[in-house]
Amino acid sequence: MRRSILSVGDWLALPVVAALIALCCAPLLILLAYSFFQVDFVTISYDLTLANYAKIAGSETYRGLIARAFGSAFLVVTLTAVIGYPVAWFVAKRVHAAKSTLLTLLLVPLYSGDLIRIFAWRVLLGAEGAINRSLMWLGVIDEPFSGLLFSPLATHIALTYNYLPFMVIGLWLAFESLDDRWLEAAADLGAPAPARFLRVILPLTVPGLVAGGLMVFVMVAGDYLTPQLLGGASGITIISAINDLFGTAFDWPLGSAIAWTMLSILMVCFGLGALAIRRSSLVAEDV
Amino acid sequence: MLRRDFIKTAMAGTALGVLGPAARANASTDILWMTWENLAKDDYLAAFLDRHDISITKTFIGTDDEQFAKLRAGGASSVDLITPGLDKVEYYTASDLLQPIDFDKVPNAALLYETFNATSLGKVDGETYGIPFYWGINPIVYRADLMDEEPDWSVFFEGDAYNGKLAMRDYALEGIMIAAMYLGIPETEMFDMDDKQLAEIKKVLMIQKSKLRTYWNSIGDLTNLFATGEVVCAFSWVPPYYDLKAKGIEMGMAKPKQGVIGWCDTIAVPKDVSGARLDATFELINYLLGPDYGKMLAVGGPYAQSTSAARDLLSEEEQDKIFIKDLSVMDNFVWKQNPARYNDWVALWNEVKAS
Repeated sequence: MRRSILSVGDWLALPVVAALIALCCAPLLILLAYSFFQVDFVTISYDLTLANYAKIAGSETYRGLIARAFGSAFLVVTLTAVIGYPVAWFVAKRVHAAKSTLLTLLLVPLYSGDLIRIFAWRVLLGAEGAINRSLMWLGVIDEPFSGLLFSPLATHIALTYNYLPFMVIGLWLAFESLDDRWLEAAADLGAPAPARFLRVILPLTVPGLVAGGLMVFVMVAGDYLTPQLLGGASGITIISAINDLFGTAFDWPLGSAIAWTMLSILMVCFGLGALAIRRSSLVAEDV
Repeated sequence: MLRRDFIKTAMAGTALGVLGPAARANASTDILWMTWENLAKDDYLAAFLDRHDISITKTFIGTDDEQFAKLRAGGASSVDLITPGLDKVEYYTASDLLQPIDFDKVPNAALLYETFNATSLGKVDGETYGIPFYWGINPIVYRADLMDEEPDWSVFFEGDAYNGKLAMRDYALEGIMIAAMYLGIPETEMFDMDDKQLAEIKKVLMIQKSKLRTYWNSIGDLTNLFATGEVVCAFSWVPPYYDLKAKGIEMGMAKPKQGVIGWCDTIAVPKDVSGARLDATFELINYLLGPDYGKMLAVGGPYAQSTSAARDLLSEEEQDKIFIKDLSVMDNFVWKQNPARYNDWVALWNEVKAS
């Protein structure tokens, strides 16, 4: 009997795949098409052109904002990795009974909304906030230090706090699957602690680092609320610029072109991430 | 309360909740109004619903741009009445989304203040497509207890006494209008500035940015910033002035001599509305420009209607609160208009913020 090319599972998955294509890919493709159009007041001209992409390439503002978005994302990935790595190791390898409690605690801030977390940081960092009041009470400063709030510092503190759990979860999974016998074997063979870390632990946890890093990277690059509400006069992001173009200026084509430029760069980042995971898997096989 | 009484009360409440809307839905004509939430409160509309066999379904907007995007994306066929800004009506007419207002069906429009009759905004070839509905000003609001004197627009561009204590709305149109007023660019040129003028605007906006604590996006957020003392002076809307005064904070409101930004929202009818729905829509428009609604809006808003219908029903204090006690205040207004090169304005605004 000849078997159908598609299995029952494939048929069951088909509606989901179709819905994904319709709901996710189609809007993106429409956006891509718009990026090659032009706008004249409120009329879209459907003659294909690369003028919007040329405008982005020629605009110091848009180039700078895109670079700032990815620079900011890279900084927060680094910070969350540095903080999250030991936390994930501790939860995975040193905690047994209270592991689920600790992981739940880690996720508790995510249960509150973005705005609540942002305003909580305002309460902490503001001129009349807890930190300024404490420093004044301790006699460290005579008057409130205004540079804490509405600054890139405030933005990056909040972004790191907001997205740390995503990095920790990725790393925790990697540490959970790290077989301790590798470390025992390395130690038996005389490898010192730094070598055990660099040649065993790090290569085997790279997939978690990359997965967590990519999640954090994408979310920070697309976050405009935190910089807007905590970044002060310098809180503009490329996302808020896109918002201005779509809403205020009715320049959907240029907004679409910037969105697709961002998306393309993110795809490259994902490609590099996938490559890193693949290489680390090969290293793991070698180990 | 006995258990039985509780059940009776609960059932009565449920019945009201269920049957109330059902009774409304049974009205002969239902019209859908796309508007701001604060304009369509149930008590504002109760008198209209009592007098007419019409029901109103409300859909709320968050921004003017969102409203335009919805209609532009094909929503015009299901909406009977919209609420665009006076300066934005041009967007809708250029997109062929509206029909002209039939003034014969809106008798209360005869009471429009002269400034709204005279304006060319909202009109195409003499036909009115967006009828002025309610209006107000966007002044400078400041903490009178933390500032030495009443500010004007120069506070955002000169001196350093309030550096890092000022806030500006994150909105290209108004931000650039303020810079133009500061530079003394007349209203006749303001919305059609050339490259040289825009370069001057950019220069002063860069100075302004160095003095700002932040750009604000929501009026609730600005109110919060005033209350905590993070900001002492801002280009603002009126509500923080009254809200914080009511909480005991000494607030001030300045209307600079160089000009005050006036805003006005209109009511407009989408192109395809017709028959009984169109008649019902004009009935509603007439009510919205009439005395019952005007008084509710003045007391509850507090906002001023574009007609004088409710003026004599208000106390002097209530009139003063919505700037209609002395109508000469309008002489100093600069009404928002849609600039010819608005995309360049938005680009300039973003350049300043990104610098």
